[in-house]
Amino acid sequence: MVNKDLSIEFLGVKFENPFCLSSSPVGNCYEMCKKAYEVGFGGVVFKTIGPKSYYIDEVSPRFDKLDKEDTPFIGFKNMEQIAEHPLEENLADLRKLKDEFPNKVLIASIMGNDEKTWEELARLVTEAGADMIEMNLSCPQMTSHAMGSDVGTNPELCKKYCQAVKRGSKLPMMAKMTPNITDMCEVAIACLDGGADGIAAINTVKSICNVDINKYVGMPIIDGKSSISGYSGKAIKPIALRFIQQMRDNPKLKNVEISGIGGIETWVDAVEFILLGASTLQMTTSLMQYGYRIVEDLKNGLMHYMEDKGVDSLKDLVGLANKNIIPAENLNRDYIVYPQIDLDTCIGCGRCYISCFDGAHQAMEFNKETRKPFCNEEKCVGCHLCALVCPVDAISKGKIKVKPNRKVDIKNLSL
Amino acid sequence: MECKYLNDLDAGLNFKTLKLEASRCLLCLDAPCSKECPAGTDPAKFIRSVRFDNLKGAAETIRENNPLGGICARVCPTEKYCQKGCLRCGIDKPIDIGSIQRYVCDFEQKTNMKILKKGVDNNKRIAIVGSGPSGLSLASLLLQHGYSVDLYEKNDKLGGYLRYGIPSYRLSNEVLDNEINKIIDLGLKYHTNTEIGKDITLNELKTYFDAVVVAIGYSKGKVLDMFKDNPYVESAVDFLKRIKENDGHVLVDDNVLVIGGGDVSMDICTSLKILGSTNVSAVVYEELFEFKASKKELEDARKHNVTIIDGYVPTACKDNHVTFKHRRLPYQLEMTADKIVLAVGQTYDLGNIDLEMERGQVKTKYNYQVGDSNVFVIGDISINKEKTVVGSVKSAKEALYYINKYLGGF
Ligand SMILES: Cc1cc2nc3c(=O)[nH]c(=O)nc-3n(C[C@H](O)[C@H](O)[C@H](O)COP(=O)(O)OP(=O)(O)OC[C@H]3O[C@@H](n4cnc5c(N)ncnc54)[C@H](O)[C@@H]3O)c2cc1C
Ligand SMILES: Cc1cc2nc3c(=O)[nH]c(=O)nc-3n(C[C@H](O)[C@H](O)[C@H](O)COP(=O)(O)O)c2cc1C
Ligand code: SF4
Ligand code: SF4
Repeated sequence: MVNKDLSIEFLGVKFENPFCLSSSPVGNCYEMCKKAYEVGFGGVVFKTIGPKSYYIDEVSPRFDKLDKEDTPFIGFKNMEQIAEHPLEENLADLRKLKDEFPNKVLIASIMGNDEKTWEELARLVTEAGADMIEMNLSCPQMTSHAMGSDVGTNPELCKKYCQAVKRGSKLPMMAKMTPNITDMCEVAIACLDGGADGIAAINTVKSICNVDINKYVGMPIIDGKSSISGYSGKAIKPIALRFIQQMRDNPKLKNVEISGIGGIETWVDAVEFILLGASTLQMTTSLMQYGYRIVEDLKNGLMHYMEDKGVDSLKDLVGLANKNIIPAENLNRDYIVYPQIDLDTCIGCGRCYISCFDGAHQAMEFNKETRKPFCNEEKCVGCHLCALVCPVDAISKGKIKVKPNRKVDIKNLSL
Repeated sequence: MECKYLNDLDAGLNFKTLKLEASRCLLCLDAPCSKECPAGTDPAKFIRSVRFDNLKGAAETIRENNPLGGICARVCPTEKYCQKGCLRCGIDKPIDIGSIQRYVCDFEQKTNMKILKKGVDNNKRIAIVGSGPSGLSLASLLLQHGYSVDLYEKNDKLGGYLRYGIPSYRLSNEVLDNEINKIIDLGLKYHTNTEIGKDITLNELKTYFDAVVVAIGYSKGKVLDMFKDNPYVESAVDFLKRIKENDGHVLVDDNVLVIGGGDVSMDICTSLKILGSTNVSAVVYEELFEFKASKKELEDARKHNVTIIDGYVPTACKDNHVTFKHRRLPYQLEMTADKIVLAVGQTYDLGNIDLEMERGQVKTKYNYQVGDSNVFVIGDISINKEKTVVGSVKSAKEALYYINKYLGGF
């Protein structure tokens, strides 16, 4: 079996591999985190611990999922707040975990409701033996507006609370961002100004997943009502990647260390986060759906990828794709690449024709006798919608046309 | 015509259908599929790897467990093993585990993965007699454990029934060669056209090597007395060998009567049809509900319009005319054919190897060892009950443990 060193340093702490539980029910207690470590996770972000004074009272049921055709769990909605277990119990669990797994990374996620509680929680989890602190500035369904994403969209408050945490603890600390904001960079910069050492992104996206069309209420239904709350899973991966790229692209955040979160299921997802600048990775929804065991294929697949790329240290992959994501106005708009149809592979379903007619430029023609499509290049704009809908991947990139009065060296184009 | 014989009957999965099939898997807790493989394959694990885009990891899971994973993927009667307990049956039908395994092993081949490694030399030398699946898989396992291995085969090519029995449309020589090359790459020394008992004696091997493993299979077709010395009659295994050696360039008769109903019978029936026989009738001892042939092979024969008459035993044969009677009912059957093929089972052919037999198997202890000697016996001719390819692999894996123990390993 392939064997590669997956270790990486993040905020000065060495992780034996970059895969961590993200703060959520998947890391709710000692038994769960123990099992996750044993199955192979490099780190755990324990379920967010709140102040003693804040009483957690949850609804039932509290989840919903979005399906599409025969694929369940495209996205997942939850209405859960922070740890339900008493503060002392959580601290005892942290202590026990650190005792038993000294080489695994233990990260405490905390959430205060004022400077005093933030500082106090930071001190308590440090005493309990955590290696690192994550500040949860981003839960979108807290029942108090002094907590969660309402705080995470306010740069001033974030900075103040970061300073408070730094007063309570010398541990490395990351601030966990909410995506329910237009510009995440402003908040991230405020957090770094307040003393944060790195950023965790993202928490859940505010959502309504489904509406019960007979009862006229969103899902899940709690005594006839529902609320807007956090959406996670595969569906939010594009949103997470976008925010991470924007931070890495911001001059003030250029080399900020990031823990990537949002829809990670496979090693390919993991590599995408790494290439855009994440150096550790956190997961919840995929683990709620499939269990901790999926980390085996995440690790093994990542090792094979490194082997194939000839890379020996994971850090060499971090951020490799950042420079290739540029503002839309700087993209090369001088050429069109036409679809090329492999007629041997084509099974004649006509989907390319339908999508081109109804959703593009009526360039795809379809011969009903031979059941073969043909692209009329007079009309084709090279959008490649046809390629995306083809069920047998018969359509690829073909001939290149340079637009009138433009100069392009076709040979050097990277398609 | 020959072209059809050489082409895979089952086209296999492509990447899209692979993902579809893998996504049907329920990712069960305690997956029953992973408990049913005689060779200890863990389908639930490799299907999960496919599901989570880790094809290379899937290939490792298969190959590290079974040196002949790519062959088993094609020829295992999966409905009797891994697919038997598949919990997907609670919804519709079992996962097509064989086809998923086949795709993954083809991927391993295409991407030129080198999964198995030669072990650190332990200065111990072992001879294996016979290069069927049991001999080949044991060779691979021993090499991975640091033994030096010499493999002796009386035919001019390696593979046993994989080479000379199972038809090309189910297992091509190309696939077989690829699997064998993986073992040769580990440092296998092999000697073809060398018959033990004739060119070299078993005693010579016993003195020269630390241990000798006999894996000579059931190389002869059984012949019932009434069919002896009849020019119309040929055994199925001889016939299949002739077809395979000639890549399907064999003249076949128009009306062929096949007697027997196991995998070998279905193989000869389908081969004959593919090669152009107009009428192929199999008369089978078992009734359909108790059929021995695998589901897939029976299906293949049916698809090729083979006539199957179940529940009859032959009672007399004169030239090309055979009389049968029904096992339970007062029916009689008279059949005249251009050719009669016997597929009523295989038996051992020790040649000049001196070994004590007991109920069709070489007499050994539970640990595959002949008395206290340095001779071990595996595969079809051994005490191993599963007379299949994967059963051969199983016997090799078990024998590896006992040989190691015998030679002071673990
Ligand atoms: C037509 C046919 C189809 C089958 N289909 C399937 C199938 O689809 N799936 C399945 O699981 N199983 C199938 N089987 C059964 C399977 O092939 C056997 O169980 C398996 O090959 C047994 O392996 P083995 O290593 O014990 O012996 P064999 O495969 O019989 O190999 C024994 C080898 O030893 C060599 N040998 C014999 N004597 C000597 C000697 N004195 N010196 C040197 N070499 C010697 C022989 O030449 C031969 O190469 C089929 C069998 C046949 C005949
Ligand atoms: C049920 C549930 C509970 C969560 N609880 C917390 C929490 O207590 N603290 C926190 O920082 N994030 C929490 N999250 C957010 C996750 O940690 C994570 O940021 C988000 O789900 C996106 O990752 P994913 O797509 O891998 O699930 C929770 C998510 C879910 C689904
Ligand atoms: S969508 Fe693909 S398969 Fe269908 S007609 Fe177009 S090219 Fe052919
Ligand atoms: S038993 Fe069937 S459904 Fe369950 S893990 Fe195995 S293949 Fe998948």
